Amino acid sequence: MTPILELRNGSKDYRGVHAVRDVTFTLERGEVHALLGENGAGKSTLTKMLAGVVEPTAGDVLVDGETVDLRTPSEALRRGIAMVYQETSLVPSLTVAQNLYLTDKKHFHRLRGIYIAGQQFLQSLNFHVDPTAQVSALGAGQKQMVEIARAVHHNAQVIIFDEPTATLTPEEKHQFFSLVARLKARGVSIIFISHALEEALQISDRITVMRDGEHVVTDVTSAFDREKIVRAMVGRSLSDELYGAHKDRKVRRPGKKVLSVQNLSMQNVVRNTSFSVFAGQVTGVFGLIGSGRTEAAKVVAGVLKRDFIHGGQVTLNGRPVRYRVPRPAVRDGIIYVTEDRKVEGFFETMSIAENIYLGAMAGGQSRATTVSMAEMREFAKHWIDALSVKAINGDARVIELSGGNQQKVVVAKALVQKPKLVIFDEPTRGVDVGAIAEIHHLIERLADEGIAVLVISSYLPEILQLSDRILVCRQGRIVEEFEGHKADEETIMYAAVH
Amino acid sequence: MIAALIRTLDNLVGRGEAAVTVPPLDGALRPNRKLDEATDRYPLADVDCLTVVDEALLASAGNAVYQLDGQEWQQRGDYEAEVACIASAGDGGLAVALATGEIVMEGGGFDGRRYNAGVDIRCVTAIAVSGGALYVANGSADNFADEWQLDLLQRNASGSLWRIDLDSGEGTQLADGLAWPAGIAIYSDGVVVSEAWKHRLVRVGPGNPGTTQVLYADLPGYPGRLSPADDGYWLAVFAPRSQLVEFVLREPGYRDRMVEEVPQPFWIAPKLRSGQSFYEPLQGGGVKHLGIVKPWAPAMSAGFCVRLDRDFQPDLSLHSRADGQTHGVTGIAEHAGRVFAAARGHGVVIALSSGDLADDRGDEQ
Repeated sequence: MTPILELRNGSKDYRGVHAVRDVTFTLERGEVHALLGENGAGKSTLTKMLAGVVEPTAGDVLVDGETVDLRTPSEALRRGIAMVYQETSLVPSLTVAQNLYLTDKKHFHRLRGIYIAGQQFLQSLNFHVDPTAQVSALGAGQKQMVEIARAVHHNAQVIIFDEPTATLTPEEKHQFFSLVARLKARGVSIIFISHALEEALQISDRITVMRDGEHVVTDVTSAFDREKIVRAMVGRSLSDELYGAHKDRKVRRPGKKVLSVQNLSMQNVVRNTSFSVFAGQVTGVFGLIGSGRTEAAKVVAGVLKRDFIHGGQVTLNGRPVRYRVPRPAVRDGIIYVTEDRKVEGFFETMSIAENIYLGAMAGGQSRATTVSMAEMREFAKHWIDALSVKAINGDARVIELSGGNQQKVVVAKALVQKPKLVIFDEPTRGVDVGAIAEIHHLIERLADEGIAVLVISSYLPEILQLSDRILVCRQGRIVEEFEGHKADEETIMYAAVH
Repeated sequence: MIAALIRTLDNLVGRGEAAVTVPPLDGALRPNRKLDEATDRYPLADVDCLTVVDEALLASAGNAVYQLDGQEWQQRGDYEAEVACIASAGDGGLAVALATGEIVMEGGGFDGRRYNAGVDIRCVTAIAVSGGALYVANGSADNFADEWQLDLLQRNASGSLWRIDLDSGEGTQLADGLAWPAGIAIYSDGVVVSEAWKHRLVRVGPGNPGTTQVLYADLPGYPGRLSPADDGYWLAVFAPRSQLVEFVLREPGYRDRMVEEVPQPFWIAPKLRSGQSFYEPLQGGGVKHLGIVKPWAPAMSAGFCVRLDRDFQPDLSLHSRADGQTHGVTGIAEHAGRVFAAARGHGVVIALSSGDLADDRGDEQ
C-alpha cells in the first residue's frame, strides 16, 4: 500500500550544520507513528519538512506517492497535513474560537456563530475550554488543547504532534490519548513526537528513532521496550545512569542551614508552610500540580510576594530576608531556574552569549556602562564549554536550540551569578534523555561543591534519583519529609495525596 | 526615626522582628519517637543533670547525687542545698554546683575544695572542668535557676560565663549579657555556650574574651546543657518553641499582667512537662482531638536531644513528641556505648544503644 506521507532521502542543513541527513521516513494510512530521539536529533526539523515549514536541502516529500513541493504550512494544510507545535502558534490576543476559525474568512467575523460552533466542536472533542476566552488567559495545557482542536478542525489527514503532552495534566493526557484513538479510527494518520517513552510505547503502532540527524531504526512498537529505545536514542544504556537504584547511592551529609522558611503564607496557595534547605545537599520537593511548591519557591526567590500581613519569615544564612523583586535575591545568592524556560528563562531574540552575560550582569558582576562584545563572547564560550551546550557558537539564538540546550543556557545564566542556593523548578521538563543525564550530573556537582540545591519535580523517579532528602508538598504545605535513600515512590505519592 | 517607623509597621503586619514564627523540625531535627521507644528506663524523680565519673553514671536530683547501679539508683551523696548541676572534674573527681552558687569538689586532686565565681552568682545552670579551670554558666543575674520561665518572660539577657582557676580559686568573667546560658562545651577553639532565650550556640574567646561568634542559630527549642559525644557533642533542648509563646514574648503588657495575676503553672510559657491540668493554655483542639493528644500538637513541652558534629551543626536528633512520656530533657551523657538522657519533666532517665541511633542516620548506607 502506498504510504500517505513519505520523506525520501531528505536532508536539511543550517549554515553548514546537518540538522537532518539522508533520512527516509514513511507514514502509513491510519497509523500512529512515534518519532523519538534526543533533543537536537532532528525530529522537529524532519516534521517541519513534512509540514511545509522548512524546505529540504535535498530529498523529496511524497503525499500519496506523488512528489510535492510544500513551500508553506498552508500548502501542506491544503494537502491535509497539519502540525501541532511544541510552542503554541496561537494568536494570544484573539479568542479560542477566533483562533479555530482564523483561516476561515467567511465566518471569522461572525463572532456569535463561531462561538456556538466552537463550543460544539470543543465539546465533541471533550475539551473543556471556553471558546470566548482570550488565548492569552489560558493555561499551557488549555492552549495545547486549542492547538490540537485547530488541527482536527481542518480535517487534516495527517496530524503531526510535537511534544503534545508535555504541558498536559494526567487527566488531560488521558483525554488526549482517547482523541488520538478516535482520530486513528477515522483513518487519520498521526506522527507523535514525545520524550515520554511510556506514552510512545502505549499509543503508537510504529516507532522511529533518530540520533544526530540520522535515522537509527524503525520498527513496530511491540519490538521495542524502554531500554531498547533509550539505547537507540543515545547509543548507550542510560537507564541506570538516569533513574538507577537510588537506594544504593550515598546520601550527602547536610552542611549549614542556608535557607529557613518559617510559617510562609501566600493567599490560599501557600499555607503556613515551613522547611529548611542545607548546604551541600540536594533537597527534593515533590507535590502534585497546584500543591504550592512552585509558589513557595517563587516567594523565596522574590518572584512572588508573600502575604502582607503575617506572611511568615524567610531567613537566608540566619538573616531574615524579604524580597519584593528577584534582583536583591540574586544579589544575595538565591537563583530560581524556572519551570517555564520559554517565557521566564531566557530572551528568545538574544544570542546564547547575550543571555549568559545578562546573568552575570544581573548578579552584579559587571557594572560597566558599555559591554565588550569580545569579553562577552569569551565569557559565554567558557560556560558553553563547561555545560556542553550544543550550538554553532555563542552567537546562535537561544530559540534555535533544542529544549535540552535551552535549559543548559538557562542553568548557565543562573550559575554565572555565583549562587548560594539554586532552586530548580522542573529542571528536565521537555528535555531529552541525554540532556537529562547531563543536567542531573550538573545538579549533583553543585551539591558536591557545597551549594544548597532545591529541586522541584513532578517526576518521582527524578526526585528519588537526585534527592538527599525529600519534602512532600500538599495543599500549600510541606507535609512530610523522607531521607532520599529510604523513600520509595509509593510512600511519597501516598503523602502527596492523603 | 525611619527605623522606628519600620518597627511600627512590622509590628502591625507581623513581619521582621515581629514575625511570630518557629523554625521547622526538619533535616537532622526531623521528629521521631526514639526517646519514648527506649526500653531501658530508670525512673528518678526530679532528675536533672548527668555525668560520668570513674565509669559510673551519676545523676543529680533535688539535694542529692545518685549513681546508677544495675537497674537502680543509689544515693552517692547529699548536700545542704539543691544541686544545680554536676560535671566530671577528671581524675575521678566530681564538681557539684549548688543552687546557692557554691561549687563543691569531690574526689580527685581538688577534693573538698569549694569555689564561688562571685558573690552575685546564684543561678548556676552548667559547669565544666578543663585544663585546670572550672567554667561556670550563670543563667541570670536577676533570677534563680528554678525561675527560668520568669526570666524568659522578662526577656532578660543578664547571664554570664565565668572561668575559675582551680588552684587559686580566682574567678574571671569571660562573657556577660548572655540570654540564659544553659550549657558549656570546652574545645580547642574556645568555649561554646548555649544561649537558651536566643535559641543559639555561641563561641566565646578564647583569645578575645568578651567576643562571641554564633555557631548555630534559630533552634526550634530552648537549648540547655552540652555534653561530649563520641564524635561531637550532645545538646539537651529542654523545651520546644511554639508560636503562642513567641507571640506572648512580643507582648510586654500582656506578659506582665500574666505573671502578676495568673498562677505560674498556667503561664503561657515553655514547660518541662505539660498537659497535667485542664486549665493549661492550649488544652483545647490545639493539642487534643477526641481526647487523644496529637503527636504533632504545638505543646508547651517535649523531649528533644540533638547530636552535634565537631562543627556544632546538628547531626541527628532524638524526640519525645507532644503525646510522649520523656519530656523536658535537661541532661545527656554517653556511657558504656549507650546514650543516657535525663527527662526531668517525667522524672526518668532513658538509655539508647548506638544501634538505636544508627537506623535514623542518613549516612549509614
